[in-house]
Amino acid sequence: MGSDLDRQIEMLKACKPLPEADVKTLCMKAREILIEEGNVQCIDAPVTICGDIHGQFWDMLELFKTAGDCPQTSYLFMGDFVDRGYFSVETFLLLLAMKVRWPDRVCLIRGNHESRQITQVYGFYDECTRKYGSPTVWRYCTDVFDYLSLGAIIDGRVFCVHGGLSPALPSLDMIRGLERRVEVPHEGPMCDLLWSDPDEINGWGLSPRGAGFLFGAEPTKAFLHNNSLDLISRAHQLAMEGYKLMFERMIVTVWSAPNYCYRCGNVAAVLELDEHLGQEYKVFEHAPMDVRSIPARRPPAEYFL
Amino acid sequence: MTTPPSSVPLPKHELYEAPDERGITVNGWRITSTTRPISNGPQSDALQADLGLTLPEMIFGNNRLTIEHQATGWKYSFTARDALAAVKNGELEDGDGGVKVGYADAWLKSRQSNSALMPQTVQAKPYDWTYTTTYPGHIDPDSTFTPTWESVEGTTHELPLAELTRPDPILFYAEIPLFEDELHDNGSSALLIRIRIMPTCIFILARFTLRVDNVLFRNFDTRIYHSFASNPPMIIRESNGFEAPYEVLKARLPKQQDLTPLTDPNFVSRCLTETRKYSQTEGAHTGWRGLGTRRDCATLAP
Repeated sequence: MGSDLDRQIEMLKACKPLPEADVKTLCMKAREILIEEGNVQCIDAPVTICGDIHGQFWDMLELFKTAGDCPQTSYLFMGDFVDRGYFSVETFLLLLAMKVRWPDRVCLIRGNHESRQITQVYGFYDECTRKYGSPTVWRYCTDVFDYLSLGAIIDGRVFCVHGGLSPALPSLDMIRGLERRVEVPHEGPMCDLLWSDPDEINGWGLSPRGAGFLFGAEPTKAFLHNNSLDLISRAHQLAMEGYKLMFERMIVTVWSAPNYCYRCGNVAAVLELDEHLGQEYKVFEHAPMDVRSIPARRPPAEYFL
Repeated sequence: MTTPPSSVPLPKHELYEAPDERGITVNGWRITSTTRPISNGPQSDALQADLGLTLPEMIFGNNRLTIEHQATGWKYSFTARDALAAVKNGELEDGDGGVKVGYADAWLKSRQSNSALMPQTVQAKPYDWTYTTTYPGHIDPDSTFTPTWESVEGTTHELPLAELTRPDPILFYAEIPLFEDELHDNGSSALLIRIRIMPTCIFILARFTLRVDNVLFRNFDTRIYHSFASNPPMIIRESNGFEAPYEVLKARLPKQQDLTPLTDPNFVSRCLTETRKYSQTEGAHTGWRGLGTRRDCATLAP
């Protein structure tokens, strides 16, 4: 099995999608591993923390070049592996294959895009049906999504989550008590963890969109204090410099998709925590344009009306 | 696609190109398009402080399109700053077409039924989170000529479709994104400027597109047309606002399970145009004042 997996990892690293039967086996194995993991995975430092990838496969290879190969480097990905980029299938399957190959060196937590509803709008569903001729692979993958952890805690001091805090979840134990094996709901505590944002407000705020929470420095401080934590690490929002510290360094947003959507021109970053939880932000740029088949920078002239 | 040979003579023109900037000089016009990466942290913070508005996720604050009529010194530009200055900041009122996300009611109800889930909240600063803008471009501060726009109706100065669909060679083409926001995965809001300089005319399309999942689609198109043959030189500016409930466009999908065409501005725009009888009158029943068509003309002569 090890050699099969190694072969698959090599294939995926060349951005070749796996045969459907292999995807099925891989997803089953992944589920067996993920089902044993808690809602909040406990991880040891040193570890490299990564934010959104969004199917930007070649840029993820740049990430590995920057932060080192697995299993020498231990990785934590904070969700949003799929959608928007052109290689969500290869991106997610490579991460999943790495997880199965080195379960203790790779931690994958769920982002709001690891959802059936969202992937039908933002590209992953479409990509699966285009590359495999049917939605079967999308079904295998979205079934795995339901088993992903909701967060992780590093050496008991750093809490990692895709979106942010929930007013209904003041303690880690309450997060541990959630039933996570469902499609991401549109409301409730689990939804908050995957969707909420820090904001320069006092206390909790309601998003002007009509749904979703914003949380200020106070709730962040209270959560850190009540759970004996030093830092919250989250993803979910584009940070032009690759990362953004807020609230006197109590929370950081890590963003790992350089040149987001192939046109933003932003840099990306990962957060390396050493064995003493010292923070180092490693910034990286997008893959050279010539190695991947993505649209040219200049759009072709069009007879628009 | 093979293009039939064109019989239109090409005007004398000069193209120029720098890393972030391209342009063309033709028939007494100078056109410049600047496309750079999105604004960095300090730039966005400065713009946010300036406008007092929570900015879209992707701001192309260094991008711009400028057209300049050299004889009069008329200078007209498109920038993200000015487009966003036209976004409603503050409590939304009648005519602003304010909407909430599709599941807002369910979300709020689920919170209110359980006080543990609903903490004391502060009011986040209200603004139009959809970034709806009817910005038609703006006259540049250092323009030395200010034309008078005159509203025209019916078939007067309609955009010449025959000319604009004729596959003449494109002398210059640029796409300039000004902003984009994914509305926190509740849809998408974007403003894209496109320009093509043809042997016989200048043609610009500034298109604002909005999709709020399970709620609505909204477009606001501004087209600017100038025929090199017009004498005195004339600019036609036409704007069209459209809206449709989400379900109406969803029903027009080729495959019901694949929602991807709904993220394709061309598909959406085609649907909205095909249903213009409704999409430009009733729209999505938000009362948005941008619906309908309006055409203005200006003469570039002192």
